[in-house]
This record gives sequence, structure tokens and C-alpha cells, in this order.
Amino acid sequence: MNPFLALVKRDLTLGLRRKSQIYQPLVFQLLVVTMFPLGLGSGAKTLALIAPAVIWILALLASLLTLDQIFKNDYDDGSVESYVLTSYPLPLSVMAKVLAHWLLTGLPLVLFSPIIAVLLHLPSSSYGVLMLSLLIGTPIFSFMGSIGSALTMSLKHGGLLLTILVMPLLTPVLIFGASAVVESSLGNSATQPLLLLSGLLVLSFTLVPFASAAAIKINLE
Amino acid sequence: MHKQRTNAIVTLYHKLGSPPSFYRISGYFLKWLLLLSIGLLIWGLYEGLVLAPADYQQGDSFRIIYVHVPAAWMSMFVYGIMGLCGIIAIIWRMKVAEAVMMASAPIGAWFTVIALVTGSLWGKPMWGTWWEWDARMTSELILLFLYIGIMATYSAFSEDSRKAARMAALIAVVGIFNVVIIHFSVKWWSSIHQGTTVSLMGESHITWDMLRPLLIMAFATKFYYGYSMLKRARIYLLETESHKRWVQDTVNESNNGDKS
Repeated sequence: MNPFLALVKRDLTLGLRRKSQIYQPLVFQLLVVTMFPLGLGSGAKTLALIAPAVIWILALLASLLTLDQIFKNDYDDGSVESYVLTSYPLPLSVMAKVLAHWLLTGLPLVLFSPIIAVLLHLPSSSYGVLMLSLLIGTPIFSFMGSIGSALTMSLKHGGLLLTILVMPLLTPVLIFGASAVVESSLGNSATQPLLLLSGLLVLSFTLVPFASAAAIKINLE
Repeated sequence: MHKQRTNAIVTLYHKLGSPPSFYRISGYFLKWLLLLSIGLLIWGLYEGLVLAPADYQQGDSFRIIYVHVPAAWMSMFVYGIMGLCGIIAIIWRMKVAEAVMMASAPIGAWFTVIALVTGSLWGKPMWGTWWEWDARMTSELILLFLYIGIMATYSAFSEDSRKAARMAALIAVVGIFNVVIIHFSVKWWSSIHQGTTVSLMGESHITWDMLRPLLIMAFATKFYYGYSMLKRARIYLLETESHKRWVQDTVNESNNGDKS
């Protein structure tokens, strides 16, 4: 079997055995979203106004919760060393890890987002754009997170450091993602922010695996 | 047969690349950098705060630019140096590049803080608020987070300073590409969220009397950075190379020098 697919399949199998990793970020999202009406008042207008930002920030936070897992377990059991030692290119292994991580944590966020949107009274006409923007944006979270995870995998408590490192780098994603939803909820075309978001995805798809591979190599020295 | 020629630049690169000669060579510059920066600082502040004419719109409060603008320039300049040193540190594993990078981080971070604080002090009389989410202030704030991230990475791997420095270098390099994207995304964001903000300089071109002190201050801060960075880089090298012979020799030498 192709090593890339084999790695993806292995990670999916392992990930599906630990279901808590999949549903806990969703529970977290639901919990935080419950806090907003409690703090702000349940007015539909206010909630609809902040909905695009809240949904995107929640997606960001929920992703951050799981990002350190991309390499952490593999570092602990020594698999990361085998990725480095095999003849298979390390950036491709990184890409496979990121893809599996996104399928396990990012895709559920995308599929779950309409429920959050209903709770926040987002106009139903913008559900499509919301899901599309998350579909393009959440893989960028996983890609950028792989750099942070590769850097912090050898630390015992690297979670907070990872957040500090990765969050500033993700501001453009948040800006374009949230503004796509804002534009569509106002009835405007969301093409421009969505195209910019896709540009960021292409950039991180092509460049980030090399940065993560470099981080892994430095970390294993 | 032709003789192997030694290129002056290559020689300089190798000399600066070795910690002992970097330590020795930088020692000659320290005093001059300090003198130049203090001299230019006094001159620039006197010209800017006393001699330059008051602005016809902003009165005397515009004078804060003589601190604010050089600090903001330095915050980006220092980050650029760090990115460059980060690339050198990752590719060629040059120890001096690591030292320069880690020595620059706190200086750049403080320049960023100064730029943010003076900006908000200026914003109060000019815009009526301490903080405005405009493009430049926001990207400056994110730049501060990047500086903090680099320093946090370094301190997280405190047991191995070389690994720590290369980890921090990686973040600096990733950050330097991102700074551009962040800057433009934030600019675009602020343009859709609040329309055009008040442009500070507006159409009015700055006069030479006002510009000259600004340039003097720009040089003063550059020299100060040079002095402070070299000083920190020297201490960094002494600390990380403390088991090496040249450090012991240097320390003994300076101890003897103090006694005599």
C-alpha cells in the first residue's frame, strides 16, 4: 500500500478508537456557545450580529484543543523517529498526519457548524458560505498547527505554548473566514474572502509541511 | 596553477562566525556604538522636542512621533534581522546567528511595546481613544505576540540552548513570511470594517525641520540596537560557551585587568 495512504489509514484507525478526541471539541463548542446568550441576553438580533465571529473563533479554539495531538502521541511512542528514518519524504508524512487530523477533528467541526449557526440565529441563507468557509479554513488550522505540534511535541506541557505560537499566525484565516460569513449574511457576494482563504490554504498546503518537517528534525536532535 | 584567493567577505563571514573572534571584534565597536547612540539621541530629541516647529493642526502633541515612529520602525527592522539570522541559524547552524537572534528578541519586543504605548498616548488627544483597531496598531500588536512566542519557545527548551535557539529560529522564519500576510489581511479587514481611518500625515508633506529630527532619531535607535544587541549577544555566547577554553581565558583576563 502507498505509504501516504497507509499512514492516513493508521491514524484514522487510532483516532476512531479514541472517540473522546472527536466529540469533546464539539461538546466544548456547544458549551461555549451556550454561554453567549447567557452573557449577552437572548436577543436574536444581537446574536445574529456576532454569530459569524463567534462561530469562527469557536472553530479556532476547538481546533487549538486538539492540535498538540498531531505529533504528541507519535513522539511518545517513538513513531516520529521512524517517519524521519524511512526513505519516505518527511514532508509527505507530515501531510498525511495533517490530513488524518483534519478528517478526525476539522471535518466534524464543519459538519457541526449549522447547529451552532441555528443556536446563534445566523440567517439560513449563509449556511452554505459558512460551511464552505470552514471547509477551506479548518485545514489551514491543522497545517499551521502541525508546526506548533512538531515544535512542542517533546514538552510535557506544550499546549499553552502551542496556542501562543499558532494563534497569531492564524489571524488572517479568522479575518477572511469570518468576513466571508459576514458578507453573505448581509446579502453580499462572499467570493473575494473565500478566494483569499483558498489562497492561504494553497500556501499552507505547499509550504507548511516543509516547516513542520524541519521542526521535527530539530526537535529530535 | 593559480593561488587560492581569500575573499575578504568570506574571511569576515568566517571570523564573525566563530564566537571568540565575534566576541573580540564586537568589543571594539561597543563603545563607539554607545557614544554614537547617546549623542544622536540627545541631538535628535533636542531638535525634535525643542527646535522643530509645532504642527499647525496637532500643536505640540505631534512631537511624540520622534519616539513613536523610530520605535515602530525598529520593531519591524529588528524582526527582519531576526528572520535573517533565523534562516542562517537553521541552514548553516551558525552559533553567532543564534546569539544575535536571541539577543535581538527582547530589544525588538520592547521597541514594539514602546511603539504601542506611545501610539495609544498619541491616540488619546488625536482620535479621542486610547486604542483604535486600525490596521497598523493591530498588526503591531500581533508582532508583539510573535516576539513573545519566540522568547517563550526559547525558554521552553531551556535544557538545551542550541536546540532552543533553532526552534525559536524556525518560529522567527515562519513568522517573517506570515507578518506580510497578517499585515495585508489586517489592512484589508480594517478597510471593510470602519472605512478609511484618519490618515495621520494626511496630504501635508512633512517639512525638513520636522523630518530631520526623525531621521536622527532613526539612526540613534539603530545604533542603540547595535550596542544593546552586541552586548546581549556577547553575554549569550559567554553563557552558552561557558565550558570552552576561550571563555575561561576571557574571564580570567578581565579579572586580572580589574585587579591591576
